[in-house]
Amino acid sequence: MTTEPPSPGISISKTAEPSTLDVSVGPQHPGSGHCRILIRVDGDYIVSADPDIGYVHRGCEKIAEYRNYVSNIPHLERPNIADAIHLNWGYVLPIEELQGVVVPPRGKYISTIAAEMNRIMSHLYGLAIMQGVFSGHTTIFMWAFGDRDLFIELAEMLTGARLTYSFLVPGGPRRDLPFGFEDRLSRLLDYFEKRLVEYDRIFFSNPSVIARAKGIGVLKREDAKKLGVVGPVLRASGVKYDVRKVEPYGAYADLEFDIPTFEEGDSYSRYLIRFEEMKQSVRIIRQALEKIPKGPIARKAPLVAPEGEATGRVESSRGEITYLVMGDNSDKPSRVKIMNGSFRNLIALPFLVRNVHVADMPIIYGSLDYWPVEADR
Amino acid sequence: MSQVSLSREEAIIGQLKARFPEAIEETKIDRARRVTIHFEKDHVQEIAMFMRDELGFDHVKGVAGVDLPTQKKIEVLYFAGSYSNAEVQDFIVILKAQLPRDNPIIASVVSVWESAHFHERETFEMFGVKFEGHPDLRKLLTLDNWEGPPPMLKDIKFPEMGQR
Amino acid sequence: MSQDTLQDFAGVWIGKMSELVQTIIGSGPIKYIVNWSRMYALWPVHITTACCSAEFGAMMGPRLDPERFGMQAVAGGLRQCDLLIVEGTVTKKMAKRLKIVYEQMPKPRYVIAMGDCACSGGLFHDSYSIVNDVHKLFPIDVYVPGCPPRPEALLSAIVKLREKIRRQEVFA
Repeated sequence: MTTEPPSPGISISKTAEPSTLDVSVGPQHPGSGHCRILIRVDGDYIVSADPDIGYVHRGCEKIAEYRNYVSNIPHLERPNIADAIHLNWGYVLPIEELQGVVVPPRGKYISTIAAEMNRIMSHLYGLAIMQGVFSGHTTIFMWAFGDRDLFIELAEMLTGARLTYSFLVPGGPRRDLPFGFEDRLSRLLDYFEKRLVEYDRIFFSNPSVIARAKGIGVLKREDAKKLGVVGPVLRASGVKYDVRKVEPYGAYADLEFDIPTFEEGDSYSRYLIRFEEMKQSVRIIRQALEKIPKGPIARKAPLVAPEGEATGRVESSRGEITYLVMGDNSDKPSRVKIMNGSFRNLIALPFLVRNVHVADMPIIYGSLDYWPVEADR
Repeated sequence: MSQVSLSREEAIIGQLKARFPEAIEETKIDRARRVTIHFEKDHVQEIAMFMRDELGFDHVKGVAGVDLPTQKKIEVLYFAGSYSNAEVQDFIVILKAQLPRDNPIIASVVSVWESAHFHERETFEMFGVKFEGHPDLRKLLTLDNWEGPPPMLKDIKFPEMGQR
Repeated sequence: MSQDTLQDFAGVWIGKMSELVQTIIGSGPIKYIVNWSRMYALWPVHITTACCSAEFGAMMGPRLDPERFGMQAVAGGLRQCDLLIVEGTVTKKMAKRLKIVYEQMPKPRYVIAMGDCACSGGLFHDSYSIVNDVHKLFPIDVYVPGCPPRPEALLSAIVKLREKIRRQEVFA
């Protein structure tokens, strides 16, 4: 039983070699939110990187203690606006556990369908900006945003908002599926599966993308487990861990789907894994549309939560989000702690950008799908 | 209501209590797959090493601080999880230590669980908890020249916020 | 005439000539051409705080295509841009850098405040780390409310801004 020295790159030495130069990447970012990475370069090679985050820190956890449980939902789903249902669901699960409310089966299926649609939307967003624009490929930006708009239209039909749904309250979803929704969604999924083939042809099999991303930023399996990364980054390094299979919530226990993993752990496998997950999401939505039962969608939940604490987690598109909610017999939570995917993946960034060219840094940063607003909360 | 067997949870508690009889203060099984353990703060590194090497909990999902002003304590929570051990892969073990509110100091677990690196920095900044042995304990999220108090403490009320 | 009188005479005449040049440029066809070229080549710098940037990205996408108005997303070319779009919440840590970005842009420069958070504080107005009144940092030309505003709303704000540019003075 031993303690271990820190992994290389995690702790930055305060003194620098005379031949190095400190370059500040950021804080104004043209693609993602604001964060600053202070890299130390020696010629064209990066020696170390120091993430300086907090430029979008809005104090979500402190605000959450000043508003009641339902009023907290809008501002707790803003950190990752492209994937709002998962942030909403992860917050609502521990409250339902504290209050002893069980969501009826139809409500669970509706939440699952909305969550998987959101996963596809978030992966398309990541594909367009973090993987496309950061590697200079603007065609995939146009194509992915065009297809994403079709999913957003369906989400608007279901919830009434384009991106910020506030769809799940303690007790279940707020609205049932409108007439014609299932039909439109099936036709959209047929169209989308054909589009995925074209994405493969133009981006994932593109020789210049492969040349830029293959073999860059390799995260081995043991390092991934030690650093505690989550989500597609973890699965691209060979660890088969997905909260939907480990601790099923919603309707996932009744649905059949695979968890894709890759062994290489480089940036290209991190690109590919989101592509495979989109295919699995299409499969899940199709099954859920067939199997959805009839009945009520939600139960009425009280406005106060009893004293106690509960921990709930969901698998969002960027990784596992764990929420801790502590109640104190009033209508406001006494503590809400959010442990989300981007903040937990941040530790992989200084670890991976050692001894790479400066031009490889945007590729590694984009393949980690690090979203500063989610990490800063 | 069917009785869910809690044998795995009790096995973990049993092993910890056998190894650290004097350091474990209180244990609780909230529900299946959630175990809460209150321990004495001076043994944090030994307990972390035991959990990593013997029980297979190889990472922390987060390190949280909770302010308890009425008891004059700050609680530090470690959410331990496991990727390697298939038997406890679905567990979250919450380790809690209570620190005195006016001088919260605890040893850092970064040398055991490297995944706690940025979480400990954030808890230091938001609650004022000093983690001894952390290689790089400095501010993470607030303003560059923030001279003010740790923001998440309950008696710190900023003028923009109303009454709670 | 002495040296001083000659210098005063020249100064007055140079002043009058430059006033005449400004009057010629600032009226009629030349003003129309200058304003036309400014409004058809608005290059944005977008300060993405990611809540509203999702809708900014959707506006730059293929559905609404602002490139037909001459608006290209020039990534990183701060000194060549003339439109600053403040999207989303401005934190105190970022406010200083935002002012630096604004001052690096050459004149004439325009600002659009997109979203409720940039207009007046919005959903996070009672947070300890954000700036509620962005208009105290620099003057704002168009406000776009919404949380987040639809891409069509942002495009209509750009059309409004172009109208404003078309009518403004050349040497403002």
